[in-house]
Amino acid sequence: MITQAAPPTRPAAVVPPTPAAPRRRRRPDLFRTLSRVLIMLIVIVQVYPLAWLFLTSLRTEHDFATGDPFALPGALTWDNYARAFETGDLGRNILNSFVVTMGANMLIVLLGMMAAYAIQVLGFRLSKLVRGLFLIGIIVPVQIALVPLFIDYSTVNLLDTYQSMIIPLAGFSLPMSVYLFCSFYEYIPKETYEAASLDGAGPYRIFGLITLPLSLNTVVTVVLVNSIFIWNDFIFANTFVLSEELKTIPLGLQNYIGAMGKVDWTATFAAVCVTITPLLLVFLVLNKAMIQGLESGATKG
Amino acid sequence: MLPNRSRTSVLVFLLPPLLLYGAAVLFPILQSLFLSFFSWNGISDMEFVGLENYLRMFTADDIFWRAFLNALLYLAICLVLQLGGALVVASLLTSLRRGRELIKTLYLLPAVISTVAIAFLFVRIYSLEPVGLLNQLLHWIGLGSLERPWLSDVNTVLAAVSAPEGWRFTGLYMLIIYAALLAVPKELEEAAVLDGASRWTLFTRIRFPYIRPVWITTTIMATTYGLRGFDIPYLMTNGGPGQSSELLTTYMYKTAFTSTDFGYASTISVFIVVECLVAVGLILFLLKRKADA
Repeated sequence: MITQAAPPTRPAAVVPPTPAAPRRRRRPDLFRTLSRVLIMLIVIVQVYPLAWLFLTSLRTEHDFATGDPFALPGALTWDNYARAFETGDLGRNILNSFVVTMGANMLIVLLGMMAAYAIQVLGFRLSKLVRGLFLIGIIVPVQIALVPLFIDYSTVNLLDTYQSMIIPLAGFSLPMSVYLFCSFYEYIPKETYEAASLDGAGPYRIFGLITLPLSLNTVVTVVLVNSIFIWNDFIFANTFVLSEELKTIPLGLQNYIGAMGKVDWTATFAAVCVTITPLLLVFLVLNKAMIQGLESGATKG
Repeated sequence: MLPNRSRTSVLVFLLPPLLLYGAAVLFPILQSLFLSFFSWNGISDMEFVGLENYLRMFTADDIFWRAFLNALLYLAICLVLQLGGALVVASLLTSLRRGRELIKTLYLLPAVISTVAIAFLFVRIYSLEPVGLLNQLLHWIGLGSLERPWLSDVNTVLAAVSAPEGWRFTGLYMLIIYAALLAVPKELEEAAVLDGASRWTLFTRIRFPYIRPVWITTTIMATTYGLRGFDIPYLMTNGGPGQSSELLTTYMYKTAFTSTDFGYASTISVFIVVECLVAVGLILFLLKRKADA
């Protein structure tokens, strides 16, 4: 695993190439200033739209319709938030997103640990093949499953249920979690298991008493990384859910587009702000763990 | 391998995950393949048509080809923004002494936000009436002649729907590439600097070759994600105006759930899978071979 905990590097260029070339000493500073400016510009492009989204949600409608989009709001108002809650069913959308995210995460964590335990710790003849099967799920686009699952769900009456979202979301996230758990289990020393075996512990007890408690850090990583994907899922929810009561946040937001494409933008942006807040807070609080998860997820994939 | 494991215990641990995975991922793939040989609207009887769907797709469907070309262009824009942008920022970040963690976090923010929110946001950024951020910016820097309704102009709409997807994930790839750059041994770089290597040589001869494995992974990730891009174009323009921002994925979705032509939609999704596999194979082939050269 590549860690980010490398010591703050002293840029190599600080060392002058040769003492005989003092002219070159200035270049690193210029370079550093330029790169700092460039980074700032890029960060602004990356972050400003989000700040703008928030500012717009505090604007009055009149201000929004007539004013300069870059200007700060003339007067701050929370009316948009009130209207956002009146227009849609935000509370219910958030609740649904919670149910789906929790449900899918529970499946992903439990089943991911089990599969990784079987592959990495128990070991069996076809374990390479099973690993390969899981790799397919990382490469293959989710769209392939839409038509078949729609047909299957309608035959077994699963359309328009929480399960119709949870099952495919968990299924497509499982491969990455299996890989993360596998790569973690590689580092649990064999001796731990041997000692436990000598004490008479079978595979189930070892899983429950050793592997599972040791996995907790990886569980956090897996949950964080998958939650982004699940909380924001649009395609499965849009395909398998029709009734208002089950709509998750991404679908709920669509309700803000009125008939004839007329949109109450300030209220819509207020709604967007409300709905992105939970995940954003989690991300800002736990971003170290999340960042590490994304990094290791990619380097293992 | 655990000393006293049993065949049953392997099955106990392996079967539940495989069942879920099979039901949600593996079986639907096979089912799509199966359905692609049928004509079916979901109500009447399924009719076996052999390769007819494939023939229609390759020889008689202009929209399919249009969507295919659009998807490639969409992919190209996403790759440039995501991998190019990520590489630039990651390299710059290594020369920064303070604030790296903050920048990483800020930069990753858009990846946390739902595609629906991003689609809304960019609809506003591109809008002309009332004037959105992009047009206002162009006006200010004296390029007022370029102001336009980006999403309803057939010449710009495809680029306009691709950019948000690229913008969204640049931070993710930056993070991965940055982590890889940090792992480049400092002694190697210092030795090169002592030998008089410029920053550019340092980058092309030492850093880049060193992070090649991670570069391959990120390229594969970005490519497969780019080829399956759907939400943002679907929400922003639904493939329009006309077919000017239609991607294979949006075309497949409409074929399935608007025209309820399940057989033909499956044919298109089989093509999307094959396209992803071919792309991955091609990347591995090209980037691995270059490594051997």
